[in-house]
Amino acid sequence: MDYSRLDPIRRRASAQELDLVESFAQGRISRRSFMKRATIIGLSLPTITAIVAACSDAPSSPAASGPAVTTAPGASATPAAAGGTIRVATQRPAASLDPVAMQDLGAYGMIAQSFEFLAALDQATGDIGPGLAVSWTPNDDNTVWTFKLRPGVTWQDGSPFTGEDVVESMKRLVVAGNAGLKGVIDEASGKVVDAETVEFTLVSANGNFPYLVSVFNAQSVITPASYATGTTLDAMPNGTGAWKLESYDNASGARFVRNDAWWGGPTPLDAVEYTFFAETGPMVTAYQGGQIDAIVQFDVFSGTALFNDANFTVNEAATTNHRQIWMRVDTGQFVDKRVRQALALSLDREAMVQQLFKGKGQVANDHVIFSLFPYFDEGTPQRTRNVEEAKALLEAAGATGLEAVLHVAELQEIPDLAVLIQSQAAEAGITLTPAVESLDTFYGAQWCPGEPADPPCSGAAELGIVDYGHRSTPDVFLNSALKTNGVWNSSQYGSTDFDAAFAEFQAAVGVEAQTAACAKIQANLNDEVPIAIPYTYSFLSGNAKTFTGVYSSALGQMFVSSASKVG
Amino acid sequence: MRRFFLRRVFLSLITLWLLATIVFVIANVLPSDVGRTILGPFAPQESVDALNEQLGTNDPILEQYVRAMTNLVTLNFGNSFQSGQPVGPLLLAAIGRSAQLAALALILTIPIAIAAGLFAARRRDKRSDRAIVLLGVTLSSIPEFVVATFLVVVVGVQLGWLPVLATPPPGAGTITTLRFLLMPALAMAVVYFGYIARMTRAGAIEALESDFVRTATMKGLKTGQVMRHHVLRNALIPTVAVIGVQIGYLFGGIIGVEKIFNYNGMGQLMLFAAQRKDIPVLQAGAVIIGIVYMIATLVADLIIAWMNPRIRSEMGD
Repeated sequence: MDYSRLDPIRRRASAQELDLVESFAQGRISRRSFMKRATIIGLSLPTITAIVAACSDAPSSPAASGPAVTTAPGASATPAAAGGTIRVATQRPAASLDPVAMQDLGAYGMIAQSFEFLAALDQATGDIGPGLAVSWTPNDDNTVWTFKLRPGVTWQDGSPFTGEDVVESMKRLVVAGNAGLKGVIDEASGKVVDAETVEFTLVSANGNFPYLVSVFNAQSVITPASYATGTTLDAMPNGTGAWKLESYDNASGARFVRNDAWWGGPTPLDAVEYTFFAETGPMVTAYQGGQIDAIVQFDVFSGTALFNDANFTVNEAATTNHRQIWMRVDTGQFVDKRVRQALALSLDREAMVQQLFKGKGQVANDHVIFSLFPYFDEGTPQRTRNVEEAKALLEAAGATGLEAVLHVAELQEIPDLAVLIQSQAAEAGITLTPAVESLDTFYGAQWCPGEPADPPCSGAAELGIVDYGHRSTPDVFLNSALKTNGVWNSSQYGSTDFDAAFAEFQAAVGVEAQTAACAKIQANLNDEVPIAIPYTYSFLSGNAKTFTGVYSSALGQMFVSSASKVG
Repeated sequence: MRRFFLRRVFLSLITLWLLATIVFVIANVLPSDVGRTILGPFAPQESVDALNEQLGTNDPILEQYVRAMTNLVTLNFGNSFQSGQPVGPLLLAAIGRSAQLAALALILTIPIAIAAGLFAARRRDKRSDRAIVLLGVTLSSIPEFVVATFLVVVVGVQLGWLPVLATPPPGAGTITTLRFLLMPALAMAVVYFGYIARMTRAGAIEALESDFVRTATMKGLKTGQVMRHHVLRNALIPTVAVIGVQIGYLFGGIIGVEKIFNYNGMGQLMLFAAQRKDIPVLQAGAVIIGIVYMIATLVADLIIAWMNPRIRSEMGD
């Protein structure tokens, strides 16, 4: 420990910063967690580097992998050439390129070329980093966050980027009911302090606020103040980003050209061409046929050939994409928690990850505080398969010979997962019958029917599997799926202990306090098992090694502003 | 002839109305929530309700039906529920692409298939006839997507002779466009070759066995003259009828081929619309494909009438 370097930093640190520095210096959090948390609270990169250097002998715990980002090193030994076009394969946007209303990865990827976030994706760390905001700081109780805006930024039409643009963008998201910001800020939260400063007064304390206005909340891009709700990128191609939309056809693709006035300087490449696909298979053959240079996302099975291609860099990023096996705790056969535990104990999670994802996933532990979160607590023992214990629990609960219908949607690997669960549960004496339904039927009639509306999802089936996409913080999972009367609470879980722990997490200041709250959440969910979560699965993307500097988020945003063609 | 034409147009309009009604009923009878489908399962209910209100999907079903039919009659197809873009240009672009692909497939298929059918008929029961029949049956029994996959893997990926994506770059010239379309067109042509060749063969054999051909031969006409003036016209009548129907089918999009080559024709457009409950696109698309069917079969009937005086005189009644 180099105290001569650390002490000056300690002296000028705020209470939150000091708490974090001490946690790291004393080895209570890993270096990765420290860097992630330091980024959130707005410590500058030189300061973070200095702290890490000063604490270089600080023990580091086995840590959590960082948030979802994939980087493509390419053939870095070969010098990069200026100019050229990268051809990217992505899924076709399901709807219009409305930054506020978009709901799918295809649209996220398009929007992120021209528009930018307050907090961008840092290629080096895979975490959030300076974007349109160069720094951000919370007050002592995480209720007010101040963002310093990047000077000299202009919109692609030449007009200056201002704090007013930020405030109006957030206001539009609040009005539209953005899932990430709901309950965090309201229409009056944003305030322009001066030409380069914007302040947000939150509805309630939130230590993760920068994530909610970052690349990890895809809709939170900053659009011009005059950008009325419903305006689409193709109707008004005027962002601050590195790429300017030149042409767009919802059926076939889009072309972006270099924005010469971008604050980051001229991009090495001249243009980015996107081709839209309905399925992954043709993306792979298009790459093999030399018509595509990069693929935003593919699955393990249709992308098998890519894993064996020496000229293709496959990037795998851990995510919080997962499936929740909900069990009704208020009615039906799963009211007794021993029955729920028995089903969870019957699952062979390793086998699922292998069979469904060829190992490109991570085993989960029936709670939503996944290991890549910096506040993940390692104290909750991993649940592993134990058929005998499952049988004993069923017998004790008087549920021997349990038979139930497992409702699932016709979506991705979920029907196969249902079959695996069926066979694994059968060994524990649970007879499950998978009912595979269309998306409409599943979501509308089984997972969370609109009626009865109070409490939400009280018409849900007693057992089913629902899909959840990647989130950079667990707030949505906790608030919507597990909190008492949450809007997606299909298990009808209602626990005062859980609700209190969640409230503690939201109000927690400092990573230690957050981890302490998460330990309670993890223990509660792992014991009560309103939802069983067998795994999270990785986000797979990649590009030809003829390009370097390509990186992606797990939300379908492929960034090529620093990419260049090799040779 | 004029009466025949008018009667066919009238029947076509009735058929189109029925088609539009069936599509409307199917799209609306199936349990679904358009707003929910568009915004996704996790969207707030109030946003879904607002979108349904905006799209008019909460209106009484009769009101929606009248509005849909009025829009079709006035060729005002409205905007896509999904992309918000006007349906008309979307459909025009897709039907244009499908037309290009179908035209190339037909150009590749028809002359070769007819020639092969006539050749086989002239050599009935000989080895060459059996080979053509066998080849035709074999090719017809292979689904388009299998042929397409084979072509992509071998011709596109391994040999690298042709592009594996069928959509040519913007502003591509005729030669480039043909290069891009050649593989999917071949995939379709291979399958239709057998069908058309066998129809032509059957028609030619029937014509060759007819009294008028025997008479023409006995009159001393050369084989080529007999084939051109007496056999061909009669042999092609069933073939033309088949081609008429197939044109409509090809314009409707061969979804398997379009998916494999990532070609944005009518098939992909309609599938995308069906998956996302994009009723304006679905309905207008079905009607447009119906119109193409009607026109293709009508033109085929007129060609048949022109080829066969007996049919022409029946039409004149």
